[in-house]
Amino acid sequence: MTNTAQQLDTTPLVDTGYYAAVTEAIRAEAARLLTDGTVAAVIGYQAGKRKGTAMPAIITDPARANDLIFSPACVNNLALYLTKAKKDIRKTGKVAIVAKGCDMRALAGLMGESQLKREDVHIIAVACAGVKGSGAATGEPLTTANIAKKCRECTVREPKGADSVAGSLPSLPELSPVEAEELARLEAMTPRERWSFWKEHFSRCVRCLACRSICPFCYCEQCMCDRNRPQAVETSPRPAGNMAWHIVRAMHLSGRCAGCAECERACPMDIPLNLLNRKMAKELKELYGHEAGLEPKEKGPLAEYREDDDQSFIK
Amino acid sequence: MKHDFEPKIVAFVCTWCTYAGADLAGTSRMQYPSNVRVVKFPCTGRIDPVFILKAFQKGADGVLVSGCHPGDCHYMAGNFHARRRFAAFRKLLEFVGVDLSRLQFSWVSAAEGGKWVEVVTELTERVRAMGPMLEFKELEIEECWSGKIDTPELKEAYNNI
Repeated sequence: MTNTAQQLDTTPLVDTGYYAAVTEAIRAEAARLLTDGTVAAVIGYQAGKRKGTAMPAIITDPARANDLIFSPACVNNLALYLTKAKKDIRKTGKVAIVAKGCDMRALAGLMGESQLKREDVHIIAVACAGVKGSGAATGEPLTTANIAKKCRECTVREPKGADSVAGSLPSLPELSPVEAEELARLEAMTPRERWSFWKEHFSRCVRCLACRSICPFCYCEQCMCDRNRPQAVETSPRPAGNMAWHIVRAMHLSGRCAGCAECERACPMDIPLNLLNRKMAKELKELYGHEAGLEPKEKGPLAEYREDDDQSFIK
Repeated sequence: MKHDFEPKIVAFVCTWCTYAGADLAGTSRMQYPSNVRVVKFPCTGRIDPVFILKAFQKGADGVLVSGCHPGDCHYMAGNFHARRRFAAFRKLLEFVGVDLSRLQFSWVSAAEGGKWVEVVTELTERVRAMGPMLEFKELEIEECWSGKIDTPELKEAYNNI
């Protein structure tokens, strides 16, 4: 299994005018907010060093507002920069953030976990047509072949609850849910087959911990997986520690993960991490009717309880 | 009776109910398999899923987690939180490919010495029938990378170092 979408079609999904309109709206909004002093900084995207790429940018000067862009290469979840772990950015005062629908779910999750106050952040939402998946060439436009897997079944293209919305959503074709199909395929396997599937994937892990660094919800100042007295999870990239790390990561994110799939994108070894996240989100929805990131909730499903919770598995 | 295979069972128990229940089984001179190793915790709410993973990695063939019945928790709600956590953790382990028959959750109160004996005996016999838990142990002794990375080019590069 590869982590890139299968070859389907190479015609552009949306015309370039849409991106120009979104970019223009973001620039105007950022310049206005910085000029009238509503915010101290704007977190957005700027053009990357190579043509056709994008990278996160934090601007404080209204003259630099024209550096901001929006393109299908704007894959990062910028909510990462608003956790308490990134204190320097928060210290500057109120900040504005450019957020796609999936990033807004992460923001809602962070607000629920008291990492962030709604009044401290100005959300410039993007009506998002989708971004490119890993493995897409830098120059090419967004197509049904190179769109990220998470975008194929996005339910939050029209973001709700933002302070302003940039751009209007173009009409998009119905895309086949590649990831849901893969999840169904795994669920239909026998436990032994699933074990060898994950063993194979996890054995590639080099424990770079990019999945942890990129995750907006992995903001603990000390991760339990780094502790060595007592050591809960082996830190070297050996099979036992890899399996334990990925199980612990999925467990700690269950009920919290907002599904931005940044862990999977950042993974240099193409481990399908979002399958684990999706599986846990699905199970927690079935068990407790909880869906992460739709609105800020004070307590996640694993931080609260009901006296009549299902206990059919307990003897 | 002599068996070919004696499974190792690790039991994570809460000190207020199940540990007292196991103690009652002992003082009442009830017989139960000596395969079980009891580890005492203040509350089931303190039992982290990592402990279960660690137990499997270090050679347990079965794991039992046991605490107070709902509503009886010494700390009011520890077992309610644990119940949700383990419900989720079971689903995760199942998805990763672990046979859930090796993992048992139960409520055993301080008065239920008999139930403790029953739970431990049943789990021990079930795991005995299933044989040793090899998955995590194999990972523990494996050192090498997956076969996919073991390409001829890499081997050649390694030999040229």
